[in-house]
Amino acid sequence: MVDDLARHGRPYERRRTPPEHVTGSSGPLLEAQCVGRTFGARVALIDIDLRVRAGDSVALVGPNGAGKSTLLSLLAGALSPTSGRLVHRGPGREIGWVPQRPAIYSRLSALENLEHFARLERVASPAERARRLLEIVEVSADPIAAGTLSSGNQQRLNLAIALLADPEVLLLDEPTASLDPRQRRRFWQLAHALPERGGAIVFATQHLVEVDEHASDVLLLEAGRSAFSGTVADWQSSAAIEGLR
Amino acid sequence: MRSVALLVRKDGRLLRRSPALLAALIVYPIVIAVLVGLVVRFAGEQPRVALVDLDGIPPIVEIGGQEFDVDQIIGQTIEDIELVRLDADAAERALKAGDVLATITIPEGFVRALRGMLRSPQLRLDFNSDVLGTRILNKVQALVFSLNRQLAETYIAANLEYVDLLTVGGSGSFAGSSFDVIGLEEAGRRLRALGEANPDLRPEFDELATFVDEAGLALAAVEDSLRATAHPIELVEAGTSGRDALLSALVQAFGLALTIAFISVLLAAGSLASERDENVLGRLLRGLVRPTELLASKVILVAILAALVALILAIALGVLVELNGVASEHPWERLPLLVLGFLVAGASFACFGTLVGTRTRDARTATLVALLIALPLMLVGLVPTESVGGVGIVSDLFPFSHSVDFFDAALADADPTRAVLRSTAWLVGLGLVYGTAARLGMRRLLA
Repeated sequence: MVDDLARHGRPYERRRTPPEHVTGSSGPLLEAQCVGRTFGARVALIDIDLRVRAGDSVALVGPNGAGKSTLLSLLAGALSPTSGRLVHRGPGREIGWVPQRPAIYSRLSALENLEHFARLERVASPAERARRLLEIVEVSADPIAAGTLSSGNQQRLNLAIALLADPEVLLLDEPTASLDPRQRRRFWQLAHALPERGGAIVFATQHLVEVDEHASDVLLLEAGRSAFSGTVADWQSSAAIEGLR
Repeated sequence: MRSVALLVRKDGRLLRRSPALLAALIVYPIVIAVLVGLVVRFAGEQPRVALVDLDGIPPIVEIGGQEFDVDQIIGQTIEDIELVRLDADAAERALKAGDVLATITIPEGFVRALRGMLRSPQLRLDFNSDVLGTRILNKVQALVFSLNRQLAETYIAANLEYVDLLTVGGSGSFAGSSFDVIGLEEAGRRLRALGEANPDLRPEFDELATFVDEAGLALAAVEDSLRATAHPIELVEAGTSGRDALLSALVQAFGLALTIAFISVLLAAGSLASERDENVLGRLLRGLVRPTELLASKVILVAILAALVALILAIALGVLVELNGVASEHPWERLPLLVLGFLVAGASFACFGTLVGTRTRDARTATLVALLIALPLMLVGLVPTESVGGVGIVSDLFPFSHSVDFFDAALADADPTRAVLRSTAWLVGLGLVYGTAARLGMRRLLA
């Protein structure tokens, strides 16, 4: 998969429906069934249903505090749902998670960060894999603290860590919020390699243009509830989109 | 275990890249430890002086017909010193360990010599030749002066009885021998009577009678002379090579415990909270690492680091003790026991630190809160438990006092087994309680 990503240097071609060959009969890669989450008395999510199939590129949209990050954390396994259940095809490591704020050790170098997480992931040849991923995401292997990298490079390192375990599903929490246009294009090229090769991505975004350009399906969250769920085509013709413009 | 090792390695690497933090964590607690140790050792209690009574002096001693209440005389003279009666061996150990600042030894035959009044009996004072030892010397000199003054009064009274006997005559005893004397007045009368009876020899008898009269007048003035002298007790002063105040076992134990407490609590709290600061907690706890493994990695690293710093401090203090010429009973063979104590204490404090880390949102807050909580709890551990009600219970619930007990026993006790086992049980138990609470609190970190 890493090498697939490396070969995927060409610009992303917009796609509204997953390729036929990827949508087999093996069922969803990841599924949320009536999932809810509370933090003390605060209700963050209520009865969310979501199916992520091979080749999907699902956009999570909604205003701040709608529950997008909480849903991604639940899908990633970083949080446990307080109601409902999550079903995924693999044992869990096949899900890569790219939090909105880079989850990296700022005083370690990019290479050290990758090697550390590769060893925790029990990746074979962690040093080699770390160097390979740095080449793919085009981040320097120089021994400088990751905290001193530009925000774009930190986000790409964040993505590289999520890709260490060859995930089938990549969860991206507003991944391009701090990137310039060129960095955004490069980021999406890397991210879309996954659905192209039979995986899936789920990304949270505030930019509706990203939904148009990169999503196959949309889930709109409002105050922790699902306000819309469907394809991009349905989304673009629905009234729900008007509330976000 | 592999994950724990990887996390420990990562944290070690992060620490090496924060030399200022590392230096502060090491230097600050050592400075605080020395200062607090000194305050604790000497501000909160009276200096202790051992009294070794080899003569078995009874509470009331009769000399020259006068009774002396020994404890009352000592108590009135040295009010600000705690006099501890010990046997010779215990006193020697206590002086070497720095638990007493001096030893006053009353030798065998002391009271007999006092009563005999043939020679001055000796008191022996052994003390450490530092500032506080000199202070004790001054106190004991004052004690001896006071005793001398009271004894002199008694001796003078006894001597005046002899003078009176010489003047007026009668029966008496000295050094166990009884005698009868006619006295100078009677001798003068008899000489004059003899002169009248023998006119040829009268000038000679009158001359002798005049001498006897003059001798009587001279003896009448002897009372003032006797009161102007009198130093019946001679104090023999001998400096020893015991630990001085700065190197006492208790001060060392306080210093080591403070060092470990500061390093462990602050570092464990800050280290756990920094995982949240770096936003990696979610990434780690979604299957890469179990919460218990993450906590264990913090506790292990912190315990090792704290033990290393404490070991360096202990070796430095040990070298100072050696350079001071202290003939310690357990110079270096107790070091492995101390290192074990450092690790156990470090782990126990680290468990407390991780609990603080789970209750705070970022590393800076965690270290500040850890400091604010740990400092009073450590100071509570320094308050004598009998002085304030409830202090003992609060102190028991924090690892500090148990660490001090462990280190003090390992440094100075002839047989530290019981104290060490008891302290270890406390430290392990508290570590488990705090660690369990921290584990339960891990959920909060992801919220």
